[in-house]
Amino acid sequence: MTVRPRFAIVGAGLAGHSAATTLREAGFDGEIVLIGDEAARPYERPPLSKQFLQGKKPSDELFFHSLEQYAEHDIELRLGRRATALDVARQQLTLDDGEIVAYDKLLLTTGASPIRLRQPGFDLPGVHYLRTLTDAAELGEQLRQSGRHVVVIGAGFIGSEVAASARMLGNEVTLIDLLPLPMVTALGETLGELFAEVHRRQGVVLRMQSRVDELRGEGRVEEAILADGERITCDLVVVGVGVRPNVELAKQAGIETDNGIVVNEFSETSAPNVYAAGDVAHWWHPGHGRRFRVEHYDNAGEHGAAAARSMLGLSEPFIPLPYFWSDQYDINLQYVGYPEAWDQLVLRGDLAEFAVTAFFLSHGQVCAAATINRPRELRSVRRLCEARAVIDPVTLADPATDLRALSRNASRP
Amino acid sequence: MSAPEGYVWALAASDLEDGGIYPFSVDEEERIVCVIGEEIFALDGICTHEYAELVDGEIEDETLWCPLHSSGFNVRSGKATNLPAVLPLTTYDVRVDGGNVYVALEPRIKQ
Repeated sequence: MTVRPRFAIVGAGLAGHSAATTLREAGFDGEIVLIGDEAARPYERPPLSKQFLQGKKPSDELFFHSLEQYAEHDIELRLGRRATALDVARQQLTLDDGEIVAYDKLLLTTGASPIRLRQPGFDLPGVHYLRTLTDAAELGEQLRQSGRHVVVIGAGFIGSEVAASARMLGNEVTLIDLLPLPMVTALGETLGELFAEVHRRQGVVLRMQSRVDELRGEGRVEEAILADGERITCDLVVVGVGVRPNVELAKQAGIETDNGIVVNEFSETSAPNVYAAGDVAHWWHPGHGRRFRVEHYDNAGEHGAAAARSMLGLSEPFIPLPYFWSDQYDINLQYVGYPEAWDQLVLRGDLAEFAVTAFFLSHGQVCAAATINRPRELRSVRRLCEARAVIDPVTLADPATDLRALSRNASRP
Repeated sequence: MSAPEGYVWALAASDLEDGGIYPFSVDEEERIVCVIGEEIFALDGICTHEYAELVDGEIEDETLWCPLHSSGFNVRSGKATNLPAVLPLTTYDVRVDGGNVYVALEPRIKQ
């Protein structure tokens, strides 16, 4: 009798879903068990801070597959179930209801969880975090009542997008961050200032370089107290101060972790037959000679697919060019490239009009770039980043330069 | 010169260039003609992920890239090949006759 091999995947977000479907597309005919601790089957998270929160996209449009499609692909779902223990020697998982799932190969796509603030008052009703569909449904219901005063703590991508959505729904919004500008870590000062101006013009009150020391309220949050003593009246608080990778299961099993689950360029962890991908994985990039952990959407999908191929022995190094986008009000931001040190910023377009392409150069090479309301330049910009092209900054900035032709020449081998 | 039955005139064949994306519309629905080498394809003109006009996108090899969030679609099949789009673009049959490009009104493959 032949026993079908079983591949288990813990974590039913995009990375896990992408891995499961890639295994089937690549011809794997063993068992696939996809385990997720949320009740919902895998869904898109990017709209949770944008269209879904704004009530413009219903939840049924967020799912990648119907339950029937998983059945057709013979992908066994274990939803609403948490893996509580992993024994890498016996190659088995224990789920929270006691079920033992033995595996031949295991992929960990356990994702990340929002960092919780522990200052006084953060346990009051009215304090929200945003990661899951349930989180977004609860927050959206509040925001869509309009006329609330919302304090958003953290002006990274999630915080900035929530601030924009809340404002678009007719709420008063105060956006608070320890850093001097929104999204400044990812985008730098020039683009951070652009987004600060966008939010100010939309009527968001910015409190940068500020810290919330305490929340107060009788039975519900009513006031945020800043470190400088300022008191901000509020009905709702949304905290978006970053995430921590969900490494507990791996760590408990003795798998190497360091800012995530440590994997090589083939998504292999320190334990045999155990792989990791997506937000939780801290992966080695041979070209850069260092590890990266990327918390963006496309990365989760591509990394999950790459890990699936590795599980099938079709190993290719995972060396993507990271990409992400953000939509706030009528501003579309797209970014390509690695978050690495850059020494020169070249702007093409008009900062004041919020329509600009920014090139981040390192030693003269284009290493990353952002387009703001210039989506037509994205492919060209991407080719320049891929080629790490060396282009005269004056030429890059010149509106008369045909970026498409320039980038096609640059990417020619 | 009138369009064959079930087809609509899209553009003159002399306007086509390799890698070109050309808009036309059927009952106010935006569609596009895409050219790869000598081959001509017709697809829906709006991304399946979010509202974005694909005529502003770009073709590389056989992939049509959406300008707004970088979704990729195979020009031949309409299949979504790169996230964030997951649903395919509807494709339409193309006929070239007498220097004109005609596109079928009904989808090539029912979806």
